[in-house]
Formats: sequence, structure tokens, C-alpha cells
Amino acid sequence: MIQFAAIVTGIFREAIAKKIFLGFMVISTLIILAFVFIVNLDSVDGMIAMFGASGDTAVKDMVIGFQILVLNFSYLLIITFCLISVSSFIPSMVEKGNIDVLLSKPISRGAIIIGKFTGGVLLIFVSLLYLIGFVWLILSVKTGYWHIPFLYSVFWLTFSFAAIYSLLIFIGLVTQSSVVSMITGFILAFVVTPVLAVRSELFSFISNDAVRFVIDFFYYILPKPGAIADISAKILEGKEVTSYEPLITTALFTIAMLTISISYFRRRDY
Amino acid sequence: MKVISTKELVKVYQSKLFSKDGITALDNFTFDVEQGEIFGLLGPNGAGKTTLIKILLGIVLKTSGDARVFESEVSNVAYKKKVGYLPENHRFPNYLTGEQVIRYFGKLSGIEGTKVDSKIDTLLEMVKMKEWRNVKIKKYSKGMMQRIGIAQALVNNPELIFLDEPTDGVDPIGRKEIRDLLLNLKSEGKTIFLNSHLLSEVELICDKVAILNKGKLLKTGSVDELTSTGNTFRFFTSELNDKVINYLLTGFKAVLHGNSEFTYNSSNDEDLNKVIDYLRQQNVLIRSFYQEKSSLESMFINLIGQEKEAVN
Ligand SMILES: Nc1ncnc2c1ncn2[C@@H]1O[C@H](COP(=O)(O)OP(=O)(O)OP(=O)(O)O)[C@@H](O)[C@H]1O
Ligand SMILES: [Mg+2]
Repeated sequence: MIQFAAIVTGIFREAIAKKIFLGFMVISTLIILAFVFIVNLDSVDGMIAMFGASGDTAVKDMVIGFQILVLNFSYLLIITFCLISVSSFIPSMVEKGNIDVLLSKPISRGAIIIGKFTGGVLLIFVSLLYLIGFVWLILSVKTGYWHIPFLYSVFWLTFSFAAIYSLLIFIGLVTQSSVVSMITGFILAFVVTPVLAVRSELFSFISNDAVRFVIDFFYYILPKPGAIADISAKILEGKEVTSYEPLITTALFTIAMLTISISYFRRRDY
Repeated sequence: MKVISTKELVKVYQSKLFSKDGITALDNFTFDVEQGEIFGLLGPNGAGKTTLIKILLGIVLKTSGDARVFESEVSNVAYKKKVGYLPENHRFPNYLTGEQVIRYFGKLSGIEGTKVDSKIDTLLEMVKMKEWRNVKIKKYSKGMMQRIGIAQALVNNPELIFLDEPTDGVDPIGRKEIRDLLLNLKSEGKTIFLNSHLLSEVELICDKVAILNKGKLLKTGSVDELTSTGNTFRFFTSELNDKVINYLLTGFKAVLHGNSEFTYNSSNDEDLNKVIDYLRQQNVLIRSFYQEKSSLESMFINLIGQEKEAVN
């Protein structure tokens, strides 16, 4: 298990060395500072005073509104950031001269992949915890409304990231290129999944059953970070979540990607 | 005890996905390495030396045949705890310092952080890299990288060490230090498997040598066995007169090298003494004579040359 831990902490070291972690922390800190500034404005005090007079629920709504804003923003930030940062983890690992020593160590190839996955997911989890945790703290202290469900978003966002990261691992192994991994990740996150998310609207233009089937097929097999962000927003607002299907299919996607990655990795010569 | 053994080992690198043909890097390769040996694997570029090491470490997967290290199938990983490896052209994560490289790979070998820390000083001392311990390896010269690579390969106190061109890029003094280090390790009972192109070096330290060409094992044996040329003796004498020369050429089938030096091929000691008796009879002064050995290098060049001719 020492070996596994070394792989996981190695990811943190790599992220720190490549200034990725630093970049994320700087951006997060800027956001947090901006938040401190906003909630200290007189107008906010006025709003709290005003809403406070007209009832507690108004303050709560305002807090939740802010939180949804941060959630959506962190979603974009995380996806963009992760794609840039983690897309190089696997290609740098399989570089000639580096992978040789790694594979000569008493750790199985499966454990290496799982270790890299765990490390990346933990990295993002810690980063998100910092950003979301602080925003939550500032809002709560200021308004006196401690809305715990906002903290759950850390898990939802990490979960979305894990799905995309699992795909990047596979692409990184096959192409050994960080650029290709990054581009694939972007296309998936910003083109394919948003388009698939509005597939029912698309269907009004498409009558061909075969095409519909293909679109449906991809909708179900691909991860749905957008839908997961919606679910977490609903949980935040206390609304009822009608379907957990995006969570399940995304989890399945992640497991499938890791399995394929491991079996590919185990067959390759380096 | 056999530390390494392979049987009819074959490796074909697939040139394209799903295509049948490929490069045969190892062709029915069978050999053993005994415990405590320094074993040298020689061969021209592309012979399959690195491929063999990589199969033994599970980095490359064999196509067929059997490969075992410490009697364990190479598909297991546990035996790697007892193995150290210095790859050719290694590239460790360049944002690490020399010390961090050793610590990182130590942990990957399954050694606890505190135990690694207690070894780092000794290892750095061993490869003479103490002053550079806190410098990022991207600033290292080639030889320094090689030294850190060797320290890394020894971090888990391995019983078997694979070194792929360990002295590549290292200066002559450093090479001597590495040779001494290897002999030292051998005296501790460790087994060393060495790939090298520097035959003079191999000659100095290896107990056993195998020669590989195009994936096939050409020859294997001790350095002495491989370099001995049979019973050729070289004589250095006072100047020989025509009569003696004539008799040496016809009667003893000697080969002349100038008029005070010749080589003679004898099949037994009796014949050798006949030559000496004859020379003394003729009042020839024998200054010295010795049994000839070819250098490992000339043997290697001859052998690979013969192979080429056989193909043509
Ligand atoms: N990953 C690979 N994919 C395809 N072919 C390979 C691969 N690695 C090595 N080969 C081929 O296998 C053969 C043996 O290569 P190998 O690296 O084992 O040679 P070597 O004896 O170590 O040579 P050198 O002395 O140059 O280091 C070569 O023909 C090489 O082209
Ligand atoms: Mg080689």
C-alpha cells in the first residue's frame, strides 16, 4: 500500500510542480476575496436588513441564489481547469524512460491506474473544498444562515470531474498525448454533453428513428456533468430531484472507462 | 540458485495493430543467471538486450516461452521488491530533486518513508552526489543523472540489479567508481545483470557473458572461455636466421610476425616443448612467450562479422 500512496501523493506533487494547483488556488482565492467584498457592500447589508424585516425566507433565497451562482461558476472553472491540468498526468507517466522504472516496481498496472485516478480525484476534491468551503463560510457568517447542502456540491462536482477524468485516462493511455486528451475532454464537456442534454428538443427536428436511436444511445452511455450540476442545484434549492438516472449512467461510464483503461494498460509493451 | 531463467523465450513486437507480422526481438532465447554473478549481455544495437531486461521486469510482455526471476513468473509483481533497475535513457520526473527521486522510487519499491530517509545519505555518498541532493534533476548533467539512476536502483537493497548501459555518459573516473561499486555489490552476494557496449569494461568485471545478435543467443560462457583462442602461443626471441625461420614455418607450421616474433599453435604440451628444445638447440634466445587471448572486443567483432557473412 506504500506504493499506492506514493502514486497518489505523486499526483499532488506533480500538480504543485506544474503550478496547476497554485493556479487553481489563486483563482479560488480571488473568487473568495471578491465574495468577501460583495457581501460587505452596504447594499447587501441593506438587503439583509430589508429582507430580514420581511421574513427569514427571503434571506435564505438570497443565500441560495448566491450559492447557485458559485456552483455554476465552479462547474465551469473545474471542468476547464481540470481538463488543462489532468490531461497531462497520464501522457507524462507513459513517457519512455519514466514508465520503465514505474513498471519495474512491485505494484500492479491496475493499481497504478487506480492510484492515478484516486490522486486526481482527491486533488480536485481538495481544491473544491477550499473554494466552496470558504464561500459557504463567508455567506453563513454574514447572513447567519448555515445552509449545509451547499457543501454537498463539492461531492457532486468531484463526481462529474471523476467521470471526465476517467475518459482522459483512457485517451491519455492510447494517444500518449496531452493535447489530444485535452481537446477530447473539451469537446465532451462543452459540445457533446450539452447537445445531448437537449436531445428531446433535437428530436422535434429529427424524424429518422435510427438517428434518434444513435443520439439516445450516446446520451445514455456518456457522462452527464451538466445534468449532475442541475441535480445539485435542485438539492441546494430543496426542490425534489425527479430522476437520478444521470448519476447512475455517469457512474457506470466512469467504472467502464477505468476498466477499459486498465485492461488496455495491462496489454501494452513499454 | 538460479536467479533468472528463460526457456525458449520469444518476443515479437507487433508493427501494427491486428497485423500478423512484426519485429522478432527475441528468438527462442534460453539462458540462466546464477546467484552472485555479474552477468554481461552483449550485442549490437537492436539485438534485443533491452527487450530481454524489460521482459524480465514485466515492462514488455513476452510473446511465448517461459521467463522467471527468483523462480517467479514475470507476470507477478511481488518479486520486484527484490529487484533494482536502471533503464537506458531514463527520464525521471524532472521537477524532483535528486533526493526526492530516490525517496519517490523507494516508496514505489514498497519501502516506508522513514526507512528510505535513513538510506538516502549512504546512497548519495555511494554515487558521489551528496552536494547535488537538493538540486532539481532537470539541472543535472548526463553523468549525474546516471549516478542518481544507480542510487535509485539500489534504494530497496535489491538482490538482483538490472543495469542497462550504466556507464553511459559517465566520465572515466566515474566509470571506475561504478565498476568498484558493482564489484562491491557482488561481494555482498548480489546478482548483477549488465547490458553494455563497453566491452573492455565488461571484460574487467563480468563473470559470465552472453552474446546476442538479432534476438538469438550466439555464445555464452565465462570471459576466459570466450576470449581464449585455443592453444596459440606467441614467442618473442632474438633475431632468427633463415634456416630457423624455414624450419619453424615448415616443421612447426608457425606464423611469422617480423624476424624475432612468431605464433605457434600447439595441440599439447609435448609439442610446445619441442619448439622450445629446437630453439635452444639453435642457440635462439627466448625472451618471452605466452598463451594468446583475443580481447573480448576482437572476439565480438569476429563473431558478429561471421554472422553477417553467413547471412549473405
Ligand atoms: N516498443 C517497441 N516496439 C516495436 N519494436 C521495438 C520496441 N522496442 C524495441 N523494438 C525493436 O526490437 C528490437 C530490439 O530492440 P532492443 O531495444 O531490445 O535492442 P538493444 O539490444 O537494447 O539495442 P541497443 O544496443 O541499441 O540498446 C529492435 O529491432 C527494435 O526496433
Ligand atoms: Mg538497449
